[in-house]
Amino acid sequence: MQKRSRPLKTRLQLIGHYAVLCAIAVVCVFPFWWTLVTAISTEGNIFAFPPTFWPKAPSFENFIEVFNAIPIWSFFKNSVLIAVFTVFWKLLLCSLAAYPLARLKFRGRKLVFGLILATLVLPSEVNFLVNFITITQMSLVDTYTGVILPNVVTAVAILLLKQAFEEVPQDLIDAARVDGASEWVIFSRIMLPLITPWLATVGILTAVESWNEYIWPSIVMSKPDEFPLSVGVLYLRGTFGSSTRVIAAGTLITIVPTLLAFLFTQRFFMRGMDGAVK
Amino acid sequence: MKLAHRHTLQAWLFLAPALLLLAAFSFWPVGYGSVLAFTDYSLIRETRFVGLDNFRYIFNNEMFVSGLKNSLMFLLMVPFVQVGAITLAVLVNNRLPGIRLFRAAFYVPVVTTVSVVGIMWGFMFHEQGALNYVMMTLKLVNAPVGWLTNDSLALFAVMFVTLWRGLGWYMVMYLAALQSIPSDMQEAAMLDGANRWQRFWKITVPMLRPTIMLCSILSVLAALKAYQEVDVLTQGGPMNSTFTALYYAYDQGLKHLKLPRALAASFVVSLFCIAIALLCLRYLKPKHR
Amino acid sequence: MIKRLLAVFACAGLLAPQAWAAEKIEFWTFSMKPKFTPYFNAVVARYEAQNPGVRIEWIDFPWDVIQTKLVTRIVAGTPPALVSLNVPWADEFARDGLLTQVDGLIAPARASYIPSALDDLRFKGRTYGFPMYSNVAVIAFNTAIFKQAGLTRGPASLDEQLAFARQIAQRTGKAGIAPALSKIDGLFMQQGLAVITDNRAVFNSPQHVALVQKLADTYKVGGLLKESLFAEDNFPAVIDAYKGGRLGMLLAPPTAMQRIRGDAKDIYAITDVAPAPLGPTGIADGGWLVHFAIPKGVPARQLPSVGKFARFLTNDENQLAFARQASVFPTTVKAAADPFFLATPKNAGAAEKAVAAGALSMGHSRTLYVAGIDDYDELRRSLVKAVEAGVTGKQDVKQALDQAVAIWNRKLATLPRH
Repeated sequence: MQKRSRPLKTRLQLIGHYAVLCAIAVVCVFPFWWTLVTAISTEGNIFAFPPTFWPKAPSFENFIEVFNAIPIWSFFKNSVLIAVFTVFWKLLLCSLAAYPLARLKFRGRKLVFGLILATLVLPSEVNFLVNFITITQMSLVDTYTGVILPNVVTAVAILLLKQAFEEVPQDLIDAARVDGASEWVIFSRIMLPLITPWLATVGILTAVESWNEYIWPSIVMSKPDEFPLSVGVLYLRGTFGSSTRVIAAGTLITIVPTLLAFLFTQRFFMRGMDGAVK
Repeated sequence: MKLAHRHTLQAWLFLAPALLLLAAFSFWPVGYGSVLAFTDYSLIRETRFVGLDNFRYIFNNEMFVSGLKNSLMFLLMVPFVQVGAITLAVLVNNRLPGIRLFRAAFYVPVVTTVSVVGIMWGFMFHEQGALNYVMMTLKLVNAPVGWLTNDSLALFAVMFVTLWRGLGWYMVMYLAALQSIPSDMQEAAMLDGANRWQRFWKITVPMLRPTIMLCSILSVLAALKAYQEVDVLTQGGPMNSTFTALYYAYDQGLKHLKLPRALAASFVVSLFCIAIALLCLRYLKPKHR
Repeated sequence: MIKRLLAVFACAGLLAPQAWAAEKIEFWTFSMKPKFTPYFNAVVARYEAQNPGVRIEWIDFPWDVIQTKLVTRIVAGTPPALVSLNVPWADEFARDGLLTQVDGLIAPARASYIPSALDDLRFKGRTYGFPMYSNVAVIAFNTAIFKQAGLTRGPASLDEQLAFARQIAQRTGKAGIAPALSKIDGLFMQQGLAVITDNRAVFNSPQHVALVQKLADTYKVGGLLKESLFAEDNFPAVIDAYKGGRLGMLLAPPTAMQRIRGDAKDIYAITDVAPAPLGPTGIADGGWLVHFAIPKGVPARQLPSVGKFARFLTNDENQLAFARQASVFPTTVKAAADPFFLATPKNAGAAEKAVAAGALSMGHSRTLYVAGIDDYDELRRSLVKAVEAGVTGKQDVKQALDQAVAIWNRKLATLPRH
């Protein structure tokens, strides 16, 4: 949907438009730039007045220091493992749940749908206390399972996938049913492959969300070696309070994967939002 | 009857794992947590029912009460966030060269983990940090300002960071909505001689109404539940001025193991959220079912 | 395949707590990495060599995180065997029943610890920790400013501190001293003025009012450093002022001297040091004991070996080595009497003199805090605000304190008695 460009749009308006965009973009991006400058510089007092906006004596020694100081490879590995398992189980369980809601008629359908919508209304953030008690009673403290389990089924994912299933033409399903295929076969052989773009969207959104999760993993994991990156970076800040440059370097290492993933998969985020708005 | 429900068994089998998990981690906490809020649940004693004692305690406690007030202060941000997001969406809803870069730039704060956001803005807000430098160069202030160490300012600093993080998310929602507005209405209006301003208010905004309502509700709920930014920036300080209601629950529950009080506090927050959500659902009929 | 992996993970999580191969003792410290990594690794290696069959695991956390982690593990039923705590935290955990008392375990070594350190760890008549290290403040003063103000020696009491500060302000225009007034409760207690008696706030007595009035008078003539005077943590601002030559006296632990030596050599050269004045209670300022406690939930059969390790961790030899490295003070009698602390070498700079001055006060060091009250911070905040109003002259001192006392008593009346 394109706003038709007015033939009389003056240069001034265009410049003004870009100026505003740039100003806001600066506010959004400046902290990242600052962190980058701090991490790459090696000279000068970081809190000197005036501070430097450009790297002084650039080198990678702060990054190397980070690798020596904290088990950052462990943090990285933990984040990856948690993200991978979360995505896998989430896609599986939520698509399993979305399919009947989208395509099957069954007793209690309205009820289930209502329940799932209800979780959107419930303030889920406040659940961390009881979930913490539950996880400890299941002896899942300090395990990845404990981190993943509460977050693996979400109403948003189910709703998005339900929409995806609804877009698949009914005739395909009918044809398969006439052929005598079981629901499971229809689901796994026909439906899932057809909604791959949507699976990718939900998968990427989930991966980023899982990578960025901070509070819940910090509650469940108590051994520093088992922290994911989002928690480990604060451990870095706590341990190296006075080495701001090292902290900055560690921070960058944490966000670079997310930023890269985001830049390459922007459209998935935008599309996910489309779906959510509907 | 039979035809309509012949898939019932299979459907429930498909749904079972997801429903189990939802039951365990989304519904159970609400119920159990609400019950525990009326007890003196503790690790070392038998749990006893204590009625409203926990609630009496927290409402007499300055940290919780000011936390509740602060959470309500966060609501002040909602109009700013929504207006800002709509503005941004309008500004990027075109095909100007490089516009995708701008969209990405505005969304980057959303995909950054909150712990990193806390560290970066900790640098910005430091007495000898970038923000003070800019303000002093522009002669807006004469001496370094303690954004995070001054108890009158810290809350606003935290609120700003929450705004910074959220703007891009809502922008994308509004962008999606803007892009689904049919172009014929706009063209017809242009032919009728309506200028940009008129078109915006008479056509665009009304068509955005559902999205505005949805985003406003989400924003209000998010404001009431804010606490992660507090944890990574100030941990409730200085002088307990940046406590929010839910941060009080987190602090009491997980640092001091005063679970009953923490649960009472989160119960109060839940009540607020559910009340607001129900109010909004009454006035906003959902379009799809 | 992945499902199987996940199942393995889940089982591993379930089984881990029970899978003790050798006997494993996990102990936690805070804020020790990276500086003291070699020290603790060496201690662990030595103990393991002397005690085959025992495996020690050392985990260090940033101090703002260790409370949450400890709580998590206590709730999960798998607490560490030993955890490093400061006294206010220990007070709260002990009150809530989350610590194991160690009277029996500490008995063999009880005599070796400094009595005042053990007193810090006694709650309701039981001991709850093994003292590790403590701190005590000394007074560093800028001899150039002193000379200009006509002063020749360090102050010997709080009254003298304030009098000197007024003199410095009047004769040199600089601030004399920067007490941490956000910790006014500790100051009251050090001067022998109780903050709470019998569950009622009593800090509006004539003596309390007089003390705050003296502070107000000193403030009025510029004797107190205005920056961050009432901030939660005024230490960064204060040490900056001293390093910049804008402050006459600095009340700080000896570690601060090293920072001054590193950051402001000129000021360091003209700095002299005196022991911090003992209040009428004979308690030295700035005491802050860190110790090792045993959380609740450590299996009873493990306690003897945990106790043995705790005694080893905090014995004379190890405490001495740690204190020397960290510029803090050990809490065993023998280590504290070591010549390192007491003898001042020739050509001693302020740092060495500070260590000696502090050592003299160590026997009188107690951690001062108001014990036994939940959410104490809330109360302290209203007290600090009242003192701020009184000291800066915004409100009459007695009036401000009266109001704060009313707030405290209202709250104290609703608290459960412990």
